[in-house]
Amino acid sequence: MSGKGFYQEFEVFSKRTDTSPLQYQFSLLAPNHELALVMAQENFMRREPVADIWIVKRDDVRKMTLEERQSLQRLDNKDYRNTKGYGYLKKKWRFYEQEMLDEKEILSWGGKQNK
Amino acid sequence: MVNTVSIGQLTEEANYDRFMERIEAGEKIETEDWMPDEYRMTLIKLISMHGISEIMGALPEKEWVPKAPSLRRKLGIMAKVQDEMGHGQLLLRVAEDLMKPLGKTRENIIRDLLSGDLKFHNVFHMEAKTWGDAGLIGWLVDGAAIITQTNMLDASYGPYARALKRICAEEVFHAQHGEAIIMALAEGTDEQKAMIQDSINRWWEALLMFFGPGDASTTGTSKQDTTIKYKIRTKTNEELRQDFFTKYIPRVLSLGLTLPDETMHFDQDAGMWQYLQPDWSKFKQIIKNNGPKSKERLRLREISYTNNKWVIDALQN
Amino acid sequence: MTHTLVDALKDECYHNSAIELLFQLADDDFILSYRGSEWLGLAPHIEEDVAFSSISQDTMGHAAMFYQLLQDLGAGDADELAHVRSAGERKNAVLLEKVNGLGTYLAEPHYDWAFAVVRNYFYAQAKKIKIESLKNSSYQPLAEAAVKVSMELYYHLLHWKTWFTQLMDAGGEARTRMESAIKIVLDDLDGLFSLGNSGPELTKHSLIDSEDTLRAAWVNRMSPVFESVNFNIPEKFGMKNGNGRNGEHTVDLKSALDILGEVYNLDPAASW
Repeated sequence: MSGKGFYQEFEVFSKRTDTSPLQYQFSLLAPNHELALVMAQENFMRREPVADIWIVKRDDVRKMTLEERQSLQRLDNKDYRNTKGYGYLKKKWRFYEQEMLDEKEILSWGGKQNK
Repeated sequence: MVNTVSIGQLTEEANYDRFMERIEAGEKIETEDWMPDEYRMTLIKLISMHGISEIMGALPEKEWVPKAPSLRRKLGIMAKVQDEMGHGQLLLRVAEDLMKPLGKTRENIIRDLLSGDLKFHNVFHMEAKTWGDAGLIGWLVDGAAIITQTNMLDASYGPYARALKRICAEEVFHAQHGEAIIMALAEGTDEQKAMIQDSINRWWEALLMFFGPGDASTTGTSKQDTTIKYKIRTKTNEELRQDFFTKYIPRVLSLGLTLPDETMHFDQDAGMWQYLQPDWSKFKQIIKNNGPKSKERLRLREISYTNNKWVIDALQN
Repeated sequence: MTHTLVDALKDECYHNSAIELLFQLADDDFILSYRGSEWLGLAPHIEEDVAFSSISQDTMGHAAMFYQLLQDLGAGDADELAHVRSAGERKNAVLLEKVNGLGTYLAEPHYDWAFAVVRNYFYAQAKKIKIESLKNSSYQPLAEAAVKVSMELYYHLLHWKTWFTQLMDAGGEARTRMESAIKIVLDDLDGLFSLGNSGPELTKHSLIDSEDTLRAAWVNRMSPVFESVNFNIPEKFGMKNGNGRNGEHTVDLKSALDILGEVYNLDPAASW
């Protein structure tokens, strides 16, 4: 608890389910983390499922300035980072009579153990 | 690359031009971005009034929460009034962040409300005499609020637009909650029908006033030009009022209810509803806290503030 | 032995006991939720106002479930049971009907937040213990309802416990106010555990644990909390203003019933 009065700013994040990513909700005022936490769900998530809540003191958030946000722009020339840049492999594998191991195929491998 | 020059180093004029360019391009302005004083002050005034009106707006309906006539109605209206407080929370947070550079906080907002410096919406100065009024507030007052709020969903100020998105989603529930109460009364006994007709008769003028005067000539000032210039809203007060008529008048009439303005009709040639103007001098009095319930409702907020001050003082850490 | 609804309808003695207990449960939640709804818009902090209202709604929801179980048992229409019964017919603990403070919710509501925190926290804990016991109730529909209600009580407890410990630990005026509130609540706390004159019947039918068991469980759960805030609770609790389970009530309940039934009673036959 830090000594700056009752009305301190907290940012509220939450997860909808155990597997969903943390999502920013909104900010609220509270005297400390504990009270912020017990007020968070009912203020911002009254009508949706919640699996977890994180409370962050506003002072601990480093935001970007308008100028800094310009550093987020980049060119659309980076298809070598994505499968899109390797699409030609499909045709190649067909030549060798093999299926392409694409994203859909690979991500399907994790399933439950065979019994 | 001219654009990477730090905005803080630009002249006031260049900052302004850049700001207007961003607004014109449909970019969202964020809390810590450079903004002209006029923009900041307009937003503070608009959003703190909007936020405190939600808080004050909880009070007339709240009178009917403990009295709601069934378990389901008790639950529904509790949730509805809770949402109003919740909307107040969202909006005050947006206003508070804008006021921060001026050294102001939520306490200033509450004090300004109690001193009369911060106005709250005209409809919430009115008396909610009957259960019919509780239904009417949900149906038509929230209906009017939906019209004004959806008009600002794309507001240039990002935090306001995001708060409004949350609010409007809940307003849909409010409207249906109101409709459910009204529908039960309209389909009920003669006394119940009379109850809702009486509510419409008493609230009609306040509903017309809801959207504010058509232009500055009626009340002396109007912020609508500034808010349109900065793309905070798109439509004028009169356009919003006309939208409200178009959406709601056929519904009111379809339930066998009447309007207390016999001259009211849709003028096909002008493409507009013609109606009797409310008494705008009364409007000016109401928003100066001289409405039928202004003092009593402010008193409730004052008691809540002073009576609970020990709690705030206790948790200063 | 478990009883279904059909079993209960066949056994008059059991039926009466189940109805008795359900009235206690329903009336407790109903009147406390009503008191909570009076606080709407008046809490010390806007964010807290919103959170508190959710708890009041949950509590009203629980009352509605218990009134529905009564309706199923042929005790009458749920809304009628909630809105029409006179004070003498109500079975809620007196502690829960007490006004929130001076004034009314419409005029000069000088409500006491310390009392709200203490009453709600102590009640939430007592309710949790009862609900745990009811999960093993011989009346199956009630045991099933208890599983559902239990789910929402974790939040109620966490919420009120946080307020309770923080205000107790704050010292100064807050501590003084909290201690006076505790005194007032303890004076009528025993009413929460009481099962009324028919208590022995309820226990005999294995509908719920005995008063003594419930009370002891409460003390057991609360002792570490009291210890953590340096507060000694007395050995015995009171029922200073009467035992609500036996229809003994204060004027506070009478005025609450007039308000909460005002619209309903304009025309009880009408659909609202």
